[in-house]
Amino acid sequence: MPIHDQSYRHYGGGRAPVGRSWLIIAWAGIWTFLRKRAFLGLLFGSLIPFLVRAAQFWGSANMPQLASLAPDASTFRRFLEYQSFWVFVITVYVGAGLIANDRRANALQIYLSKPLMRSEYILGKLAVLFSFLALVTLVPTLLLLLLKVAFDGNFTFLKNNLFLIPAITISALLQVLLASFTMLALSSLSKSARYVGILYVGITFFTSAIYGALYAITGSSRVSWISIGADLEQVVDVIFRLKPRYATPWQVSLLVIVGLIAVSISILERRVRGVEVVT
Amino acid sequence: MSTASIPTVASTPTTPTTPSPAGTAAIVTAEHVSKWYGQVIGLNDVSVSVPPGVTGLLGPNGAGKSTFMKLITGQLRPSKGAIKVLGEPIWRNPKIYFQIGFCPEQDAFYERMTGLEWVRALVRLNGLDEKAADEAARRALASVDLMEAAGKKIGAYSKGMRQRVKMAQALVHDPQLLILDEPLSGMDPIGRRRTIRLIRDWGRAGKSIIVSSHILHEIESMTSNILLINNGRILAEGDVHQIRELIDEHPHTIYVRAEQPLRIAREFLEKPEDDVRSMKFEPGAVIVETGKPDAFYARVTEMAASGEFGAIDEVTSPDDNLQAVFQYLVK
Repeated sequence: MPIHDQSYRHYGGGRAPVGRSWLIIAWAGIWTFLRKRAFLGLLFGSLIPFLVRAAQFWGSANMPQLASLAPDASTFRRFLEYQSFWVFVITVYVGAGLIANDRRANALQIYLSKPLMRSEYILGKLAVLFSFLALVTLVPTLLLLLLKVAFDGNFTFLKNNLFLIPAITISALLQVLLASFTMLALSSLSKSARYVGILYVGITFFTSAIYGALYAITGSSRVSWISIGADLEQVVDVIFRLKPRYATPWQVSLLVIVGLIAVSISILERRVRGVEVVT
Repeated sequence: MSTASIPTVASTPTTPTTPSPAGTAAIVTAEHVSKWYGQVIGLNDVSVSVPPGVTGLLGPNGAGKSTFMKLITGQLRPSKGAIKVLGEPIWRNPKIYFQIGFCPEQDAFYERMTGLEWVRALVRLNGLDEKAADEAARRALASVDLMEAAGKKIGAYSKGMRQRVKMAQALVHDPQLLILDEPLSGMDPIGRRRTIRLIRDWGRAGKSIIVSSHILHEIESMTSNILLINNGRILAEGDVHQIRELIDEHPHTIYVRAEQPLRIAREFLEKPEDDVRSMKFEPGAVIVETGKPDAFYARVTEMAASGEFGAIDEVTSPDDNLQAVFQYLVK
C-alpha cells in the first residue's frame, strides 16, 4: 500500500499565465452539461429541424418533383426563427444556474481569491451559454448554407445571396448574445437557479403579453419594442433584407437590444463579487 | 491601564517599505486603511505591518477581523488608504493570488462534489494543467489528513473535514502566504488540536500565515505573534504573552456541546484544579466559567480523546471575556 508523504513539498511545475482562467471556467461548465443525458437529449432535439431542412435541401436539389421546396434567402431566416424555441429552452436549462449555483455554494469568494479576474469569471460563464446557443443557431444555419452549395454542386445560390453569410452570423450572434447576457445577469441576482429560470420565462412572456394587449387596444404595432422577442424579430428581418413585420422603427428595436445587453453587463459588474456588501 | 503596557500599540503608522519588527520585509502592510459600509465603519484608519511567520488576528465578533481579512485578500477595496501584500497592491492584481491561499470562514463548496474533485478544480485556476492539478490536489489533501475521504462527497463530510478541505484548497497551489479566517470555528476538540498542529507545521515549513480567531487560547497555541483588533482599529500588535496575563485576570466562559454534558460537568466539579466557578446547562451543552482556561481546554481535549465521556462535538468561547479585556485595555 503506498504511503503518502505527509511533509510539505513545494510545487515545482509550470503555471499558465494570468488571463486564461476563463477557459478553465468555460470548459468546466461545458463538460458539466455534456455529462448530463437530459441535456444531450435536448441538444439532439435542437438538431432535428436542421436534419429536416438538410433533407429538404437535398430533395429539392436532386428530385425534380420537389423543386418547389428549393430554399431561398428567407428559408435561412425562418430556420433561425424556429431555432428561437431551442435558444429559449437551452438558455433556461443551462443559464439559470450558471452564477446562481456558485452564489448558493458561496463559491465566488473562493474563485475570486484565485488568480482570476471578475471579468474572466463572467467571460467563462458567458462562454458556456454562448457555445451551446451558437451550436443551435449559428453553426447549423451556416452548415445549411454549406449543404445547399454542396447539394447544388455550384456556387450560384451563394453568389446571388452572398449577404447571407454576414446576415446569418450577425443575426445568430445578436440572438445568442442577448439571451446569454440577460440570463447571466438574472442568474447573478439570485441563489436559486429555479427562481432565475422562472424569472426569465416570466420576463419573456410578460413583455410579449403586454405588447399583445397594447396591440389589441391600439391596433398598431408601433409599441412592439416592449416585447424582447419582437425587437429581435424586427432587427433580424432588416438584417435579412426582408420587410420589417412591425411598425416600430428597427433602430428603436436595436436600441432596446443594445440597452438590455448594457444593463445586463452593469448588473453583472455589480453582482459578481467575492463579498456581498449590503449597505 | 494604558495601552503603553501592550507590546506595540498600533497607532504609529507604518509604510509599506517599513521592515517588520523581526527585521524582515513585511508580508502585509496597511497604510491608513479605512473601510465603511454606508454609515457603518468596518475598519477605522488602520496602519499595520504584518511580519513573516504565523500571525494571529484576534478580536471579538464584529471587531473588524473579517473586514481586514477581506481587504488583505483583495475581495474588498479600501474606502481609504492602501494595502500591499507581499510588496504589491492587492486590489485588482490577480497575479499576486498565485502567492496567496485563502480559507474563508463560511462553507464554500459544492456538496455534490468529492473533496478531490473540488480541490483539483480549484487548483486549475492557479494555472496548473490537469495532471499537475491532480497531483497537487492529492498532496494537499494528504497534508490535511483527508486523503482517505478524498473520494467522498463533501456533503457527507463532518465540520472538521469541511474545514480541512477548505484549507487544502488554500494550500494546494503552494502559496507563500496563507490567510485562514476562523479555521477552528465549530470544530470538535480532536479536529481543533489536529488543525492547530497543521498550522504550526506549515509555519515551520516557511509559510507565512495570518489566522483569525476570537479565542485567545487557540491563537496562543499556534503563535506568539498577534494583532489585536477591536471596534475596527488595531489595538495592539506583538507578543501574546503580555496580553494573556491581562486576560487571565478575568474568568473565562466556555461552551461545550456534548453527548453527555452532565457527566462532563460532574468530572469538572470533582477536580478543583480546573477552577470552575459556575456552570449553566442548555439542551445538549454545558456552559462553564473557569479561572484557568488553559487547564480547562487541555482537560476537555483529554476527555474527548479518552472517549469515556461520549462525543464532545463543539467547544467554543463566547466573546464576553475578550471583550472585557479589550475594554480594560482601552481605558
